[in-house]
Amino acid sequence: MTEIKSLRDLPARHLLGAGTPMCGGCGGLEALHQVYDLLGEKTVFVNAAGCMTLLAVYPFTPFRGSWLYTAMASAPAGAQGVRDALDILRGQGRITPEEDLQVVVLTGDGSAYGMGLAATSGAMDRGLDFLYLCYDNEGYGNTGQQYSAATPHGAHTATSRGALGYPGYKKDLFSIWAAHRPAYVATVSPAHPVDLARKIETARTRQGPRLVIALSPCPTGWDYDPAETVAIGKLAVECGAWPLKEYRDGRVEHTRVPKKRRPVVEYLERQGRFRHLFHPVRQDALLAEIQARVDGYWAGATATGD
Amino acid sequence: MYRIRFHGRGGQGMKTASRIIGTALFLAGYEVQDAPRYGAERRGAPIFAYVRADRRSINERGVIDRPDLVAVADDSLVALPAAGVRQGIDSHTVLLLHGRTPGAAWQERLNLAGPVFTLAPAAHVEAGHASAARVVGAVARLLGVVDRDTLIAAIRRELAGLGDSELAANTRDALAAYDELADQHGAVAEGGAVVSRDFLPPRWIELGLDVAALAAPAIHAPATSTAVQTGLWRTVRPVIDHARCNRCWWLCSTFCPESAIAVGGDRVPVIDYDHCKGCLVCVTQCPTHAIDVEPEEEGTPEGGRS
Amino acid sequence: MTRTLLTGNGAAAWGARLARIDYLPAFPITPQTEIIETVAAWLEAGEMAGRLVTMDSEHSMITAAGAAATTGVRVFTATSSQGLLYGMEMLYAIAGWRAPLVLVNVSRGLASPITLEPDHNDVLAARDCGFLQIHCATCQEVLDSVLIAYRLAEHPHVRLPVLVNLDGFYLSFTREPVTIPAQAEVDRFLPPFAAGNIAFRAHAPMSQGVAVLGGAAYSYFRYQMHLAAGKALSVYDEIAHDFAALFGRCHEAVECYRADDADYLFVMMGSFATKAREAVDRLRDQGLAMGLVRPRLIRPFPVDHLREALAGKKGAAVIDQNLSPGRGGILHTELAAAIGCGRNRPMPLLASFIGGLGGRDITPEEFYQMARDLVEAVAAGRSPVPRLLYTDEELRGVRKLQGVAGSTGGERR
Repeated sequence: MTEIKSLRDLPARHLLGAGTPMCGGCGGLEALHQVYDLLGEKTVFVNAAGCMTLLAVYPFTPFRGSWLYTAMASAPAGAQGVRDALDILRGQGRITPEEDLQVVVLTGDGSAYGMGLAATSGAMDRGLDFLYLCYDNEGYGNTGQQYSAATPHGAHTATSRGALGYPGYKKDLFSIWAAHRPAYVATVSPAHPVDLARKIETARTRQGPRLVIALSPCPTGWDYDPAETVAIGKLAVECGAWPLKEYRDGRVEHTRVPKKRRPVVEYLERQGRFRHLFHPVRQDALLAEIQARVDGYWAGATATGD
Repeated sequence: MYRIRFHGRGGQGMKTASRIIGTALFLAGYEVQDAPRYGAERRGAPIFAYVRADRRSINERGVIDRPDLVAVADDSLVALPAAGVRQGIDSHTVLLLHGRTPGAAWQERLNLAGPVFTLAPAAHVEAGHASAARVVGAVARLLGVVDRDTLIAAIRRELAGLGDSELAANTRDALAAYDELADQHGAVAEGGAVVSRDFLPPRWIELGLDVAALAAPAIHAPATSTAVQTGLWRTVRPVIDHARCNRCWWLCSTFCPESAIAVGGDRVPVIDYDHCKGCLVCVTQCPTHAIDVEPEEEGTPEGGRS
Repeated sequence: MTRTLLTGNGAAAWGARLARIDYLPAFPITPQTEIIETVAAWLEAGEMAGRLVTMDSEHSMITAAGAAATTGVRVFTATSSQGLLYGMEMLYAIAGWRAPLVLVNVSRGLASPITLEPDHNDVLAARDCGFLQIHCATCQEVLDSVLIAYRLAEHPHVRLPVLVNLDGFYLSFTREPVTIPAQAEVDRFLPPFAAGNIAFRAHAPMSQGVAVLGGAAYSYFRYQMHLAAGKALSVYDEIAHDFAALFGRCHEAVECYRADDADYLFVMMGSFATKAREAVDRLRDQGLAMGLVRPRLIRPFPVDHLREALAGKKGAAVIDQNLSPGRGGILHTELAAAIGCGRNRPMPLLASFIGGLGGRDITPEEFYQMARDLVEAVAAGRSPVPRLLYTDEELRGVRKLQGVAGSTGGERR
């Protein structure tokens, strides 16, 4: 394993085939290609229903290794079947260690935060040796961005079009996962590729359930110019709305603590999904609440020494 | 019956255009069907929509394969087989192209017997962006059965949610196009039904059983998606000025969601225009601002876009 | 070879053991649970090799089963009733992967109302998913059918998952003498799974379960599943022939009991068919030329075998332990379609009977009465209105329950 210290340690050669049907400027695809470069082609991705269902459309696949599409609820169960089968084949000497594959679950937030959560919990209970990559674009993107359990408070989605947007709050999936005490949990952002790469390298060297959530800016669902994907991803981290952190060995650590957090409005106002918080009238109370929640998070994080 | 097909890229408004024309014909007293058709692709990829209108109730359904009028929002689609613009066109089909290449040039290049009208983009329309409203106005004129007031009413019905200023701008653009094509009033003739006498029989076969190894929908080759030219989605292209490029640690390549920027041993980045979707993330992230944006050449029928 | 008393569940577990399964993703549900408990005990005691993993649901269980099968190991799994329906989405999905495995379903009626007792609505809800279906009448058949099912599923022209069905309680918890064949004999019948290109391997990338665009590609793959399932009929006949040659037990696609010279038939599937067999003997005692026809294969539906068995008969009483509300018995509907189409052979009059729902018994007298109704219908030349088997005594009992439940038919008390 190469130690990732800076950008120069990132792969310059890209494994994921181009030509996928993902939207131009897709933050999820950006995360996937960065992850794939590090994991390599000796992998089998087990996919759930979401935007990336359509990564492989017969006869086209972007993967140089393997891929299995299951269903929205059960990608971790598919990973269980593949992992167990490979272990059985190894145990019987029917395949060599060189033929073995890493098993990677790939789902969106719709599956990860909701329908697939029981299957993920089960896979962690069973100590399944797998990596889970969630591309979190904070809504049911593939069906036109309806709100999901990952949608942030106040966001306009296809099913929350009111003046104050989505009334619920983004579920803390990181903590739910970490409460299972798996081998590794991390949040990443493809706008921070070095941090992402370090975490994927860490995950790669550990055994057992390893789960990673990538905040994946979505020009189509979040309503911004595709060219802004990285800029918005960076802002999410710099304003503190998307904390970069990892859980291992019972401890949570923040891998990047913004020295001085930028105001959350700077992040919100660049996205059409929050436009109603600024026009025609500025929703000051709601904006203050969103800021207070971010501040509250970081106050707690600092207090516990994370 | 009128059978009208609209072609555009996802996001160019052809679904809305088809609905405005559907409503206009309905208001003009016709029985109407309108529907969009999507593939797996997302914003930027070719899509189409269609409208049928008849004085009697309509029994036909689904895709129109014998169009009377084909309206194309972006004439770069004509050369793209996957877009299917030329599907079922015969000498009675009127072709309406939004772009700068004259109709006679298209007739010659494509060897078309039927009439081809072109609609130049309005001066205020950004390069590479089609104006759905102009296409709507032109289609209404070519049909010859939608008067100005009906057209205005239909636009109001379909675009009311956009707000007054957007509605006014779209109405203005549509009426301008309607007036520009005054000489072509009623150029489209209604087509007839498929005759049941002397018809061409379907070439049905006795489908044989293939071995399961062949008949399973699995892909056994790596990275076949590279055969898909997503570069054709692009309306603008990033161009690297190698004089300004400082050979950094391939930021553009790391951030490109498509894996469409390769960096060799000399650290010189090269854009794969066969697959670059034109999201321009690289342009915004280049630390030395060495990547410029250029419009794609319009109306190059021989696929010279890459 | 040993002959011993085994429950249907025990016989299913023995089938899995003798098939040398590699993998069993599991989830408990009554009345199936004994199967996975039995295998788990053998695995723990080291009496058989393989791996059992208890999943978080049947949906996950069937996903894991399909995923392991498509990685190239021999997979067995089992469920029942609500569990089969909870995993229904995945039954369709993994059948489409064209990866072979065997799933034992222990039939149990579906909610609502909830019941633990058997009928065939669960397994028939999976009729169109692409799994082949073998229905058993005895515990011996359960063991034998699991072995046959692997040969069928893994045949290179078939390569579809196979569901082996046994009735809850009447087979699952009922002990009968079962001959357990010697492992060496089974090994001669069932070679190891040759996975071929059904594999995820580093040197051989595969993208499985992909989407298609357009009806032409979709139709091709679905038509191929249909053609493969159709091919499974002749493949089944060959396998059943091999099985009979090795083990001396004949399990034809359609069991015909005293049917050759019969004028009238019972047609039914599953374990209650042995009751029909008994009724045939008793009716024969009284001089009625009765017979039994029992399809063991439901998918593929053995149309030609059934037409052959029914041709020239005067009448057939079709007894369904299932109910499609608004239509009636599913076997009756299928059989009517099978004998109604094409070719000019005289086919019997069909009479439809629905019974045995939620574990309700079908008594000998009811079989005799069905035969009597059938004979009268043939004499009258008219199919009777489908009969829902139910007695006045049963209704009186339910009326009492309704009284206790405070149900008054809509009037407020």
